[in-house]
Amino acid sequence: MSAINVDLAVNGLITGLFYALMAIGLSLIFGILRIVNFAHGEFYMVGAYAYTLIALVLGVSVWVALPLAFLVGALVGWITERTLMRPLYAGYTSWGLMRDEYAVIVTFGLSLFLINLVDKVIGPYAYRGPPLVDTSRIVLGPILISGHRLLAAGIAIAVILITAALIKWSFWGKQIRAVSQNRLGASLAGIDTARTSAIVFMLSGGLAAFSGALLSPVINASPDVGAFPAIKSYIIVVLGGMGSVPGSIVASLALGVIESFGAVYLSYQYRDGFGLVLLMLFLLFRPQGLFGEKGREV
Amino acid sequence: MSSPSEAPNLSPAVNKLSVANTSTGKTAIEFRVALGFLIIVALIPAVVRNDYWLGVFIVSMYFAMLAGAWNLLAGYAGQFSLAPATFAMIGAYATGLLGTTFGVPPLLGIVAAVVVAGLTGLLLGRIVLRLKGPYLALTTLSFAEIMRLVASNSIDITRGDLGLAVPALLSNRIGWYYIFLGVLAVLLVAFYALLRSKAGLFLQAIRDDEVAAARSGVDVVFWKTAAFAMSAAASGFAGALYAHFAELVTPELGLIGQTGLIVSMAVIGGMGTLAGPLIAAFLVYVLSEWLRDVGGYQLVVFSALVVIFARFFRDGLWGLARGAVQRWRRS
Repeated sequence: MSAINVDLAVNGLITGLFYALMAIGLSLIFGILRIVNFAHGEFYMVGAYAYTLIALVLGVSVWVALPLAFLVGALVGWITERTLMRPLYAGYTSWGLMRDEYAVIVTFGLSLFLINLVDKVIGPYAYRGPPLVDTSRIVLGPILISGHRLLAAGIAIAVILITAALIKWSFWGKQIRAVSQNRLGASLAGIDTARTSAIVFMLSGGLAAFSGALLSPVINASPDVGAFPAIKSYIIVVLGGMGSVPGSIVASLALGVIESFGAVYLSYQYRDGFGLVLLMLFLLFRPQGLFGEKGREV
Repeated sequence: MSSPSEAPNLSPAVNKLSVANTSTGKTAIEFRVALGFLIIVALIPAVVRNDYWLGVFIVSMYFAMLAGAWNLLAGYAGQFSLAPATFAMIGAYATGLLGTTFGVPPLLGIVAAVVVAGLTGLLLGRIVLRLKGPYLALTTLSFAEIMRLVASNSIDITRGDLGLAVPALLSNRIGWYYIFLGVLAVLLVAFYALLRSKAGLFLQAIRDDEVAAARSGVDVVFWKTAAFAMSAAASGFAGALYAHFAELVTPELGLIGQTGLIVSMAVIGGMGTLAGPLIAAFLVYVLSEWLRDVGGYQLVVFSALVVIFARFFRDGLWGLARGAVQRWRRS
């Protein structure tokens, strides 16, 4: 493997880590409500803004701004769940008919709303977030990487591992998995499914916002910055299997590497297209993804 | 087919199945209101002489066509595609490329655009036949993004984001106004004829319960594909007209934001009604141009309205108006 390939692989994996932060939350929401949250990219955008504005305007240390961005994202997620997602499960019988359509419209509308709101209130200009460290480039053998990116990747790994562990072993994590396996069964076993949904939305919003905060020095916060990471995470949850957390982590890393190599060896202009083609192929031929369970409908 | 708000009508005392309560009867009323609305629109140039505002109304008509076409697919057939703007873009590029590269006259180009968009819709409809809900939305969304990427990256053919200069059909604003109005009226009549025929019932049956529809003998595969093709052809028509009106085609025609605008109009007006999306298209677009001078919060307001309507008033403005009329009649 030549030096450039190592560099491409490492950079692809790092990009994949940031994708994973986004995709886990989306996947959890799909698992628990069977919907795709089209406003997921806007949670990311909110996080990028929260981090940048808290650090720049209030002049707070970036190490305080980072967790605060997570909290802001969690708050937005919680409000979304309380105001818009409850009808999906809370006993509105007549909603069964167009349930999926409702979820698409309402999250799509929320996405437009958040983009336009930020555009009007904060302005359409891009804000560059302050980097966590100022080292501009670090050379590790054949790999060239900025200090911020390396540190952010380390934090991303830690957060992903903590999240995966929480979902696997913690009490709430077990509840989340129970509800996504069988909502009715879980509620019969005494699990508060409404609270579980709220927790999932908070976690999902927080993780997406965290991802936005970590990347804001690289991508600059602007109102429509969430569109691309959102599309990537749709691709990832389909590739990894909707609702599967390990699946979405593996698929994120894979997509990062595929794009990194594809941009160099296949076509630079179409680097964002590979994933979309994969998404369509998977939905058509293997809708359960790499790790998802094959769904059955009665 | 009865939406939640109409449930009380099913009680034996009121259930005389008056014309207004049957699906075709409702559609007939909607059609008459929509026609009346178009007549008002036809009279607007008598009052509005300003070229800028005439342009605003023309673009509103463009959106009304797209919202109507999307409503046929999503509101009546229940197939929630997120690619309506893409078909307009495909139509616009079809006539634009035929005109600039092969010198095809605009009128022939527009016909070709309808065919190309319709065939693309047929293909997409065929591909997504088995997908539902979130899966369908994601597949059509990625189709839309791929198409836009192709349009903006095939710089040798489409000149990419710079846009393609398209020959003008005519330069007279009033002329354009009535061309758009005429096409909108034709589409409205076509949708109405379709919905009045058995096809309309088939589409709504598929929306309400696909399995039951198939069980009752509806050719689900055929009608779902047909709904995609018809909706795409109508969107392509709108896009091709718009290309010759604006004399420019860019990949921006296929942006997700454009789809968002189309969906907003249908949701605010009332999905699954003939008149709602039409009237809402004018309301949303004209109001947003008007509000642009006062603070420019129009997009914030309209996107908030989409969420509020989807959450609390699922039948849209049309449903609200119908409810008000019914209450007024009863009292």
